[in-house]
Amino acid sequence: MSLELVFQQALNGLSFGALLFILASGLSLVFGMMDVVNLAHGAFYMLGAYVALSVVQLTGSFWIAMLAAPLALALLGLLIEPLLLRRLRGRHLDQVLLTIGVSLVIVDLIGQLWGREVRSLSAPPGLDGSVTLIGGVYPVYRLFVIAFGVVLAAAMAVVYRRTRIGMLIRAGVEDAQMLGALGIDTNRLFASTFATGAALAGLAGVIAAPVFGVQPGMDTDPGLLYSLVVVVVGGLGTLSGAVAGSLLIGPADTFGKVLFQDVALAVIFAIVALVLLLKPTGLLGRIRVAR
Amino acid sequence: MRPLVRWALMAVAAAALVTFPYWSAPWESTRFATTLLRDALILAIFALSLDLLVGRAGMPSLGHAAFFGAGGYAAGIASQRLATDQLPVTLGAAAVAAALLALVIGVLVVRSEGIFFLMLTLALAQIVFAIAFQWTAVTGGSNGLSGVGRPMLATLDFSSPDLMYVLVAIAFVLAMLTVWGLARSPYGRALTGVRENERRMRALGYDTARLRLSAFVLAGTIAGIAGALSAYSTRFVSAQDAGLGNSIRAFVTVLVGGAGSLGGPIAGSALVSLIERVVPSLLPVELRISEAILGLVFIAFVLFGRQGMVGLGRDAWLRLRAR
Repeated sequence: MSLELVFQQALNGLSFGALLFILASGLSLVFGMMDVVNLAHGAFYMLGAYVALSVVQLTGSFWIAMLAAPLALALLGLLIEPLLLRRLRGRHLDQVLLTIGVSLVIVDLIGQLWGREVRSLSAPPGLDGSVTLIGGVYPVYRLFVIAFGVVLAAAMAVVYRRTRIGMLIRAGVEDAQMLGALGIDTNRLFASTFATGAALAGLAGVIAAPVFGVQPGMDTDPGLLYSLVVVVVGGLGTLSGAVAGSLLIGPADTFGKVLFQDVALAVIFAIVALVLLLKPTGLLGRIRVAR
Repeated sequence: MRPLVRWALMAVAAAALVTFPYWSAPWESTRFATTLLRDALILAIFALSLDLLVGRAGMPSLGHAAFFGAGGYAAGIASQRLATDQLPVTLGAAAVAAALLALVIGVLVVRSEGIFFLMLTLALAQIVFAIAFQWTAVTGGSNGLSGVGRPMLATLDFSSPDLMYVLVAIAFVLAMLTVWGLARSPYGRALTGVRENERRMRALGYDTARLRLSAFVLAGTIAGIAGALSAYSTRFVSAQDAGLGNSIRAFVTVLVGGAGSLGGPIAGSALVSLIERVVPSLLPVELRISEAILGLVFIAFVLFGRQGMVGLGRDAWLRLRAR
């Protein structure tokens, strides 16, 4: 592999990692607060991409879609949490099962409403070109994805550490029941957390669309599969875990595909297996997913 | 009911089930019911194997389709590469491949529980699916593996639709007897013990990790056999057979029917087959929403009837008798 190719693939890996961070941070946030692994997260991601498709068709603007899709998903989250999940508060496994049903409904309705063909969404004007970097041309949009991921991670870190909402989130991750006893309205907190997680999935869907396309099956691959792998490897329920997981899985997956082509996912399998055997909390987590 | 009478009734029911294509022939000329029943029985075997984990051992696996798919691929590849349709060879290949895969995934997942177990089985099985999907040279990739032969046993050829059905029905009866026997055996009781209170089982001297692993491998093997039967029946293995959609389908079947009972997975497979195969024919052609309907039914059961159809039926029966 030539040096230029290595450099180019490293950038590809980083931009996939940045996208994975946007995707997995929502899953991780919801788990941290509510102890629920939202298996509809991939469906939310897919819905974000399809909503973006329609908004771009209507308004012609990618940037409006980037606002509208997360907003639509947040509203959906605000409906699903109180109507469905709240009825099973405290029964975490059943809540997870519920999200399977939600996912089935959303994915099938997307197919019914938007059709079951492969669609595409182009990058917005200004970001659809390419630049010359170390002897090779590189798409600007992928650089934008990297920058967006970094800014989002930084913004989330500031919110976590410096704001009242961040304080509530950290306290809720520690012990949501105690937070309720202290007079915080946990119903509202849970609903808004779930909505934020859904919005992040929708945002990831919009941002991924110009790179990975918009098609049936995107709800599991990359959607749910990669976000689960990232949180298992990085550590469940923490922001730093989502960052670490995405930074490892993004490049590992990209280089795996270059080096091993067809069996590239064996690399991801090996990473998950090693983490489970050697560090069952994930790289930067506190919750053990296995003994 | 006296045990002998009960056994005799069960034997008659089993015989009626196995010979269905022969006595239904006069009124069922299109074979729609035979095909529907055949596929429902394959789903039932698949669901029975998953229920060993979900219902008996308390291990909610969302990756069970990996073993179903492994069995299908192994049977298909063995028959094509070895150029034989002999049932012991192809079915044996399916069972061994599924068992080995279950061993590899099982070693990694049996040390986790509940939500984490579910998450890990989903992720690892889905990676296996993705490999099957991309490894075109071996699995046919996204085109699937076509031209799988119907099996033969010595000179007995199962290639006619009726005999293929008979083979599936016999396998179903055997699978049911196996699960029934297991549930009543000391091994089955130990699995229930692991589900109810693993720490106490450990304190009693059971190697619970090994119990869970053996259950995982056993369930995977039976799922692999179901996958092989599906491959013979449709003469085709699709990568989707190994994917999350199929895992979810088995899980929904178990839960909607009622986990931890023999009748549950069977009732569930009847309902799921109905939703997948019969309901679409009642809807307008352009409305393809059977998965959404399945999702809604599943949500309703999780919210209001977690014990499944069998459990709801039992409750209703008890209430009726109490009157």
